[in-house]
Amino acid sequence: MAGIGFELRKLLVKRSYTGLLQAYAYAGIISSGPWVLSIVGILLVGVMSVAIVVPNALITQFQVTVTYLFLCSLVVTGTVQLSFTRFVADRIFAKDEAAILPNFNGLLFVALNLSILLALPVALFLFPQQTVLYRLLFVAGMAIMSAIWIATVFLTGMKHYKAIVVIFFLGYLATLVFALLFRYVYNMEGLLLGFVLGHFLLLVGMIWLIYRHHHSDRLIAFDIWEKGAMYRSLMVTGFCFNLGVWIDKLMFWYTPITSEAVIGPLRASVIYDIPIFFAYLTVIPGMAVFLVRIETDFVEYYMKFYDAVREGATLEFIERMRNHMVYYVQRGLFDIAKIQAITVLVVFLLGEQFLQWMGISTLYLPLLFIDVVGAGLQVVMLGILNVLFYLDQRRAVVWLTVTLLVANVVFTAASLRLGPAWYGYGFALAMLVSVLAGTWFLSRKLESLEYETFMLR
Amino acid sequence: MTAISSPTSEPALPALPKADSVDVLLLLEGTFPFVSGGVSSWVYQIMNGFPEVRFGALFIGSRKEDYGSMRYTLPPNLVHLDIVYLFEEQDNPKVRPTRAARGSMEEVERVHELLHNDIRNPQCMHAFASLFDAASPEGKVSHEVFLYGQESWDYIKESYRRYSTDPSFVDYFWTIRNLHTPFWRLREIAPRLPRARLYHAISTGYAGIMGVLLKHRNPAPFLLSEHGIYVKERKIDLFQANWISDNRNAFERDTSQMGYYRSLWIRFFEHLGYLTYQAADDIVALYEANRQRQLTDGAPPAKTRNIPNGVDIERYAALRPLRPAAAPPVLCLIGRVVPIKDIKTFIRSMRTVVKHMPQAEAWIAGPEDEDPAYAAECRELAQQLGLAEHVRFLGFQKLTELLPKVGLVVLSSISEGLPLVILEGYAAGVPTVSTDVGSCRQLVEGLPGEDAALGASGRVVRIADPDALARAALSLLSDEREWQRASAAGIRRVETYYAQAMMFDSYRQLYHKAFNKEYPWQASASS
Repeated sequence: MAGIGFELRKLLVKRSYTGLLQAYAYAGIISSGPWVLSIVGILLVGVMSVAIVVPNALITQFQVTVTYLFLCSLVVTGTVQLSFTRFVADRIFAKDEAAILPNFNGLLFVALNLSILLALPVALFLFPQQTVLYRLLFVAGMAIMSAIWIATVFLTGMKHYKAIVVIFFLGYLATLVFALLFRYVYNMEGLLLGFVLGHFLLLVGMIWLIYRHHHSDRLIAFDIWEKGAMYRSLMVTGFCFNLGVWIDKLMFWYTPITSEAVIGPLRASVIYDIPIFFAYLTVIPGMAVFLVRIETDFVEYYMKFYDAVREGATLEFIERMRNHMVYYVQRGLFDIAKIQAITVLVVFLLGEQFLQWMGISTLYLPLLFIDVVGAGLQVVMLGILNVLFYLDQRRAVVWLTVTLLVANVVFTAASLRLGPAWYGYGFALAMLVSVLAGTWFLSRKLESLEYETFMLR
Repeated sequence: MTAISSPTSEPALPALPKADSVDVLLLLEGTFPFVSGGVSSWVYQIMNGFPEVRFGALFIGSRKEDYGSMRYTLPPNLVHLDIVYLFEEQDNPKVRPTRAARGSMEEVERVHELLHNDIRNPQCMHAFASLFDAASPEGKVSHEVFLYGQESWDYIKESYRRYSTDPSFVDYFWTIRNLHTPFWRLREIAPRLPRARLYHAISTGYAGIMGVLLKHRNPAPFLLSEHGIYVKERKIDLFQANWISDNRNAFERDTSQMGYYRSLWIRFFEHLGYLTYQAADDIVALYEANRQRQLTDGAPPAKTRNIPNGVDIERYAALRPLRPAAAPPVLCLIGRVVPIKDIKTFIRSMRTVVKHMPQAEAWIAGPEDEDPAYAAECRELAQQLGLAEHVRFLGFQKLTELLPKVGLVVLSSISEGLPLVILEGYAAGVPTVSTDVGSCRQLVEGLPGEDAALGASGRVVRIADPDALARAALSLLSDEREWQRASAAGIRRVETYYAQAMMFDSYRQLYHKAFNKEYPWQASASS
């Protein structure tokens, strides 16, 4: 997210509390806007349809379908998200910007086809009770969601942070309006139709933005699939990370005693899903701090360090810049941990009232607590990954995301076996292990940064 | 044993001759057979002069693309030829973190310490040679250890802090890398070279240091022949080199003081030279001034001697009757058209010459492809001075055809060693006007004593003085008796002191001394 630092710094140089507040609010919106919007949007569609779409199980069917669309499209496109971002960055660095748009088109083409290819047999064979409309919308939804993630990644890479938030906002507004309209005609399918149409508009908006800013004389290109154009390590990382943060949910969905069938082959776990859903909303402050700390202070010294190396500074100066970098990494991660710790305390204090207010059983409370801790650690993990990406430590990142995936599988399986009192601990422990491994990796890499920069490049 | 004819355009090399053992292994840096010039011709001459000796040669070059095809037909007694490029980029070992073996860095530090503070220590050369020998994949200081080792990184940082007066660490780092890389390239090729009864390096620098290594690995006498003074030539290159950075700012910079990297490179070559002088068993200079310079640079006096270049007298003597009775009014500069020959001074001098002798002509006989821009400038200068009629650029010429038609051999160079063209001119009866560089005064006026008594075989003038050059030339060309006197003195001088046979005799002695194991250390080594 390089480039965001500049705008944040503008707000920070005001050196006033309002400036600081603005910076963190801005960072919070930029970093969390899209996914908060999507969570809230889907939630609203459900809440506002109670008593109109009956029975209520139909609303659950809609929400679960959408959740699976999110999950599948994220995991499928996860393989190319990071590597394509890197490809774009490399093209910009090589001043070959004309290659970007046709390759974006090419990737979109592949992603659309691949998700249709994956979703089609699922829709054909696994939903025998569902209407043709539902099956069509399932396939279309999968394709559109995949395209949206690729466009989002692309726009993020091109630093259109604000535009992404605006487009997501408009897209979810449209989703809400369409869903509320079509539910009268098609009931559950109406909600899904609204979702698909709304997201289609969201995608069109993004593509419009992309075409407004980028030009090329070629329509479509597939350079990214050539050998060496995309880093395989980044593809592994993207896949493992997305699967790694979802796998515990999947395991709960497909363990019979923790789940129930919702629609076709899609299952859900009410006890597991509701707390984690709220827990993710608590990471907004952590995400904001993460963005401010890493993208301003750390990046400032990161750039100074590499400039110093390139432009012939003294060794003392290079080492000083390295030390500043290390200091701001420490401070950034510590600040994320700090703000998330405060969030956890607030949840501990107010969680019970919150659940009562939401009309949710307080039996969920222990799970909510541990999920809030796990989600907070996930933000720290994101911070570590981001720093490692800056340092171009692709191998370390692969190891880390593989660790996350494996740990989440192992610990979640263990927690399932140990029984309901342990639910959520698998996820949290997996995050903790990954954060500890990441910290160890990071401190080792930072320690030998000059050695590796000079000797091993 | 295959004789290879010189390919004309294709730089891809035919199979090089290979042998397991040779009598003399020549160590050649940037000369024969890929570069033409005085030193290369000399190497060729030596090989042809000793047809009974089996020669091997190692050509040491910078990068492959810097050289074209072979410029010489390899003589049949060159039974082995190897090539090593020191600055070829691609073939570094695979990047991976490396740890140095225990104790190896102590040795690295000890050798650097000796080179820095105590180079005159008799142990220094041996310590260096054994460290150099350890620069192999199995050795203690493999290339990986140098390039990727944590210890080597620590040592580079420490040395930067101790020594560098230039602020830029990245430049220090790369200078150190570039400075050291050739050692691994040279060490890598050492085991592939044939066994030899004598190592004969034709310069110090990388060729000389290779001799140090080879003698350390496989003891055999080591002979060093220097045509120029390598260290001095390197210094001139380095003073002019603009690839060396200097990052001192306006306050730090003291114009009287050289940039740190420049001085680092110069010290590097000084050290190579010094170590080579210590390891060599005999050190040959072309003429006395160079020998003195070698002594200043650390050559042990007892090992040094002069062996001047020699020419094939009979070959050129046959040309004498071909010249018209009166000396032709032709001033001929024989040499490459490059700045060091200062062709422009020669052209400028022609203005004065032509004023007094309108029929006079200047011929410039030599290839122009080395520095085409300079050649073009020279042609333009002749035009501007209105001398187009009088200055002729002939390109490469056969001396046997050229010499009968010229009245004077002219050298306007700003630097020379012992130029063969002067001697070749003498042998053909042509006197010389030369600038006072290298051995030229010795060649024209003779060394004090019997040589000087032969009389002047031409004139010596200051460098970059067109007027003096013109007056000297006119004094010979316009005075029949003066010219005849100089011509006769030249013939006598070259026959007495610079005959090829004499040079061969001197080298035969040196070669046989090695072949017969007459060096004292050989006797003790074999017993």
